[in-house]
Amino acid sequence: MTTTPDSSAPGDWVSVETSVPGATLFLSGEWKLGSVMRIERALRAVPGLRPVVNVHGGALTALDTAGALTLLRHLKSLAIDPATIDFEAFSPVHQRVLDLVSGRLADVTLEPAVHRRGLLAKVGRSAEDLARLVTGHLSYLGLVASGIANTVIHPRRLRLNELASQFEQVGIRAIPVVALVTFLIGVVFAYLLGLQAERYGANIFIVDGVAIGMTREFSPIIVAVIIAGRSGAAFTAQLGTMKLTEETDAIRVLGLSPMDVLILPRVVALVVALPLLVFVGDVMSNLGAMLMAAATLDLPSPTYLERLSIALTMSHFVVGLAKAPVFALFIAVIGVRMGMEVSRDTRAIGIYTTSTVVQGIVSVILLDAVFAVLFQKLGV
Amino acid sequence: MGRPGDTDMIGNAVIDVENVVTRFGRQTVHNGVSFSVGRAELVALIGGSGTGKSVLLREIIGLVRPSAGRIRVLGVDVAGAPAAELAAVRRRFGMMFQDGALFSSLDVAHNVAVPLFEHTDLPPESVWPLVRLRIALAGLPPETGAKMPSELSGGMRKRAAIARALALEPEVIFLDEPTSGLDPITARAFDKLMRFLVDDLGITVFLVTHDLDTLLTVVDRLIVLANGKVIGDGPVSDVMALDDPWVRSYFAVRTMGTTGSERGEHGT
Repeated sequence: MTTTPDSSAPGDWVSVETSVPGATLFLSGEWKLGSVMRIERALRAVPGLRPVVNVHGGALTALDTAGALTLLRHLKSLAIDPATIDFEAFSPVHQRVLDLVSGRLADVTLEPAVHRRGLLAKVGRSAEDLARLVTGHLSYLGLVASGIANTVIHPRRLRLNELASQFEQVGIRAIPVVALVTFLIGVVFAYLLGLQAERYGANIFIVDGVAIGMTREFSPIIVAVIIAGRSGAAFTAQLGTMKLTEETDAIRVLGLSPMDVLILPRVVALVVALPLLVFVGDVMSNLGAMLMAAATLDLPSPTYLERLSIALTMSHFVVGLAKAPVFALFIAVIGVRMGMEVSRDTRAIGIYTTSTVVQGIVSVILLDAVFAVLFQKLGV
Repeated sequence: MGRPGDTDMIGNAVIDVENVVTRFGRQTVHNGVSFSVGRAELVALIGGSGTGKSVLLREIIGLVRPSAGRIRVLGVDVAGAPAAELAAVRRRFGMMFQDGALFSSLDVAHNVAVPLFEHTDLPPESVWPLVRLRIALAGLPPETGAKMPSELSGGMRKRAAIARALALEPEVIFLDEPTSGLDPITARAFDKLMRFLVDDLGITVFLVTHDLDTLLTVVDRLIVLANGKVIGDGPVSDVMALDDPWVRSYFAVRTMGTTGSERGEHGT
């Protein structure tokens, strides 16, 4: 429908003849979608000295529904009811199109209601949604807990196949990514600390900084964030798609429980895998730091390791590892729940997956703050 | 509007499929398929499962390229034409996918408006009345416009898809199994809608279907695909009389104009 520049005159589309009872519009040309703008302009240019009572369509070479609609809307805008108009000399085809459109004119001229919400209302609505989301998560956490309790009471309900497969997916397969990222962070961290420590000739304390900082705080957080993106999103996408394709319904109808088959294997696998991944992170970050220190900070590896054995006490190591299962529980429950919340809308998968990652990361940070206070009070 | 079977002004059929061969790896789906469709015809393509009907439909609308042969729609070679020409001919036909394929992030009105906003320079105040007209022509109540696709039933989704296919006043409409999954009442109403598009708007309608009631009541011509070739092409009564085992068993349940009960009328 490319429109050529308007070199037509209004008279090319419509002309008017006035007589005693009223005016007659004579239509000509191709009244089609591509010419709607020009037709509208031509209609507006028609002098309205007398009310229109006739429309003559003998000179029309084409009339489609868009053209017919433009005519009828114009008449309506002049407060003329098309039913009172005499449409003459329209070819049978064009008359049909006209009848078609005029029969539906009532539906067309209804303006849809537009709902606009003010800013305060939007904020209120978002707050309400957030509150509902968080309480929903807590209920779901309870549901998962009762599922786990069930498995403890009836150990045969534990599905080892699914658990092993999930563990491989969220644990084993994540090792390369986790190892690489934490190694690099160890390198960078050592370098940053080294820049400062060198000034005071205190290079050896890089070891303390890296060991305590990484094992206690950064390794758990960074590994959890990676896993929130990798596995949290995966859970939501997998379960959401299964929900859309009615696979979860099929599971139920076959007498199985989605909790046992889908949810618990994922949650338990992640809770077991994350501490192991944090351990990998601890090792790799220290390794990275050690290599960096040997390369640029005049700290040979044997010295590094000796200092490490003094600086890295068991408590730091355990504190870091203790956080991991809690992080994993939250990430897994959020991921699984958002997946199961997906309904008929295909958009939901994209929206919920994004939301899962964001929620997972925020939860990890919040939990870490809670742990910081807790361990400080415990004097660990 | 021409008479059924008329070719358009240039002398070509509206849809012209010539010796199409389609191969996927070592599997040959079509082995010399040829037929043509003229203006204002309601033509159905039928065939057993796996005979490549949907693939053929996708080739006709230019989504899949055949391994050999030529397909012309409104005179344009859809497999070989340059992008601009293909885009131009795509504005002259509409497609209704099996489950509607509506854009899930837009409401129905905006879905129908997409072709109008993209391919015309009409301002919004001219577009929305046209959108409401399309929605009404497709047989949907006006409040459907504000609904999201996920809120619609299957039949309404298909009608919304038809409304979108009608947006640019197409000359041809393609439908992929339009009545599948619909209850009998809705399905028959859909048949009426297709007949209306042909009779009242002069649009050529080409559909892939399994619905015997559609075939026996509103279709002008039937094309039968089997073993990679066209084994039947003509009015329904002619095709039903073909001496082919598959065709015989396909129609064995029904005879012309009846539905297994006592209804003896034709749908048009």
